[in-house]
Amino acid sequence: MKNHTKISNTYTVIIGCGRLGASLATELSNSNLDVLIIDRDKSAFRKLSPAYGGLTLIGDALDYKVLEEAQINKATTLIAVTNNDNSNIMVAQICKLNFDVPRVLLRLYDPEIKCIFSDMGIETISPVTLSIDEISKRINPVKRGAKI
Amino acid sequence: MKKHAVLIGSFNRARSLADSLINKGYRVTAINSSYDKSVVLAENREINVINGDGSKPFVLDDANIEYADLAIVLTPKDEDNLVICQLCKKKFKVKKTISILNDPLKSSLFYMSGVDSVICEVNAITNIIEQQAFYDGIVTMIPTGEGKIRIAEVPILESSPVVGKKMWEINLPKESVIGCIIHGEGTTIPRGDTRINCGDKLILISAANQEMNAIKELTGRL
Repeated sequence: MKNHTKISNTYTVIIGCGRLGASLATELSNSNLDVLIIDRDKSAFRKLSPAYGGLTLIGDALDYKVLEEAQINKATTLIAVTNNDNSNIMVAQICKLNFDVPRVLLRLYDPEIKCIFSDMGIETISPVTLSIDEISKRINPVKRGAKI
Repeated sequence: MKKHAVLIGSFNRARSLADSLINKGYRVTAINSSYDKSVVLAENREINVINGDGSKPFVLDDANIEYADLAIVLTPKDEDNLVICQLCKKKFKVKKTISILNDPLKSSLFYMSGVDSVICEVNAITNIIEQQAFYDGIVTMIPTGEGKIRIAEVPILESSPVVGKKMWEINLPKESVIGCIIHGEGTTIPRGDTRINCGDKLILISAANQEMNAIKELTGRL
């Protein structure tokens, strides 16, 4: 974080270095934002682009010690994108309820579970819902924004 | 109508809990993610068994969990337990949810998100091991009231300083009380003039931090 010039006071923590997490981290770091990405598997960080200028941390993000090491209390945004819905939900709730992270986003494969934290101020991105919207928009352009 | 309890996860615990709940007159449904174990669970005809992942809403729906009286969540992963409990509570309006938990630090998170009762396995097991290792001769201890109150069964041996004394003569620490005396033929709820004999077992209820002092007072050692 010391080596590059900050353009704003944001600090984003990404949980899960899969395809989505890694690309997202690379993109944010290319825009000169402070990023830290956590994954429990060291080899997952190979997916990061060589140009990635942010931090990496090996550990289980459901462990409070790991989150504290990531200085989660200073984070402005948390993005939970592991491949496990339940882990994403738990880490999002920990960060929202226990660490007061201002913005929390999570990826959710199963949009049906969304109801359990809809009142907590956690933002959800669901690939299924997005795909449905997009596909139905393309095959049936008249009925825009069809909701499932 | 019979009360409905749903057990989610863990084969061994689910099986023994199911037995005790059935004895108490509950209608029991068990959800298990392993097919083989589900088959074994189903050997007990009184258990309604659903094979599937309990954190999926459609599996819970299959188990008819809506408006159930009790959901007991026993999977080995904290994150699964949390999601299942929240689904039970918010989506299916289950009246009471009980969950086990591995990481003691997360118990506040569970309570905050509406779980009615959280049992921290690690804490409970450490307590039991501690008792087995350090409290010689004291048979059972039940931590209750979120661990603040303890109930212990204290056997009175010949060497005990309280043998032959009356209740009011014992100098028990504050915040501790003898709730019951178990002796050969039966039990007595003690009064001030009840005499303690060798071979009695005292049921001691005390604040967790006073327990050691009370036991010391009763047995003369530790």
